[in-house]
Amino acid sequence: MVFPFVQNIFSEEETANLAKEFSSLLQKGDCISLVGNLGSGKTFFTKVLCKEFMIDDANSPTFALLNVYVGKEKFFHFDFYRVRSQQELLDIGIYDYLNDEEAITIIEWADLYPAVLPKNRYEITIVIKDDFSRTFRIEKL
Amino acid sequence: MTVLGIESSCDETSVAVLKDDLVLANLISSQDFHINFGGVVPELSSRAHIQIITTLVKNALAKANCTLDEIDAIGATAGPGLIGALLVGYTFARGLAFAKKKKFVPVNHIEGHIFSGFLSEDKPTFPLLVLAVSGGHTLLLIAKSFTEIIKLGSTIDDAAGEAFDKVAKMVGLGYPGGPKIQAAAEKGDKMKIPFPIADLKGKYDFSFSGLKTSVLRYVQSAFGRPQNSPIPEADLNDIAASFQYAVVKALLKKCELALKEFEISSMSLVGGVAANQELRKAFLQLGEKYKKKVVIPKLEYCGDNAAMIAFRAQSLINAGESFSLETDAFPNFSSKYFINSTL
Repeated sequence: MVFPFVQNIFSEEETANLAKEFSSLLQKGDCISLVGNLGSGKTFFTKVLCKEFMIDDANSPTFALLNVYVGKEKFFHFDFYRVRSQQELLDIGIYDYLNDEEAITIIEWADLYPAVLPKNRYEITIVIKDDFSRTFRIEKL
Repeated sequence: MTVLGIESSCDETSVAVLKDDLVLANLISSQDFHINFGGVVPELSSRAHIQIITTLVKNALAKANCTLDEIDAIGATAGPGLIGALLVGYTFARGLAFAKKKKFVPVNHIEGHIFSGFLSEDKPTFPLLVLAVSGGHTLLLIAKSFTEIIKLGSTIDDAAGEAFDKVAKMVGLGYPGGPKIQAAAEKGDKMKIPFPIADLKGKYDFSFSGLKTSVLRYVQSAFGRPQNSPIPEADLNDIAASFQYAVVKALLKKCELALKEFEISSMSLVGGVAANQELRKAFLQLGEKYKKKVVIPKLEYCGDNAAMIAFRAQSLINAGESFSLETDAFPNFSSKYFINSTL
């Protein structure tokens, strides 16, 4: 995969294939920020990605703010959608998780609080187009 | 037996005093915070829990007209939840139990919800079919007793309550999604748009992510991108009604399957989404159809609350269970009472 990587996606199956391909690049300590509107497929992408690490119970962390999964790797799955201020993230101890070199962190709605994100990360931006296909753009920052 | 219950797994801090079957006090931060803090809305953080926990405990004891010495046991939520939030209530409870030499019960938050129907005057009977629906959970299970729970299924993506919030946002109805959708749906035609119900590998599992996407697809093709122009009110009402109908149908379909397959004595609808009138009505009708007793707890016991935590602690003590003060709180705190799966 060469970055920035851009692909137009027309089905869930193609999203799944991309998530699988991308998952093979991940290492302990990595952070992935996911950016995209409601219904763009952020949680679905994360589910497929986690499955590659033998995690079957990944689901939406919108309400819980953070789900922790342990499979072949440990994952912190955040969702900033419901967070009301950056201070709340600091209170939750966001940096304790982001600085855990043993875990991989995935953040949905990461663009809501860009200031807390690590400089070095993968950023995946999903855009829903008028014909309901999606464009996935993956950058290595 | 008098039990002090403490809950702080997510947004709410809550403290309750339960004497036998009677809730003497059930204070919840978002509703009772103004008592001492001048109407400040609590924020979602461990700091907010720390600021109010002591006051809430004092106020709950005062309201229950009860002293700490009269408390027999303390139950506190040990998980699942955000660790920072959990630790506040849990550590406070553990310290209090240690200092005052009280029985201590670490409580699983979900188990608190599962048995919240027992806070009603008319109690559920076992085997009990429970549909637990909230912003964070969608679960179907059977409790055979207070210590034997069989999980039938759960959501594989979004929780039902989350779907309400996100669809409301998507179509421009705003927050909180549950009440807004319900109000709009009352004026709409639920048969107008046939939104799909997910067919899943797990017979009793739920999925609401696909429904959310199909609402988005419908809105986008019928009205252009939702952010461009507001959807006309009549159409909005139809979308809300059709969406709500699809959610209720999906939830009830699995309940009916379970009623056909398993021996069930009564049914209980718990969690924050139990506030939805359409769902309550459908759940009651289903109970009538299968001639089962239906128990839906009062609204104050549907959302996160400490009364259900105190009751769960009491039911475990009555079942002869005992617990170590050494048990730690844990974000993925699992339940040993689930006999077919982990939670």
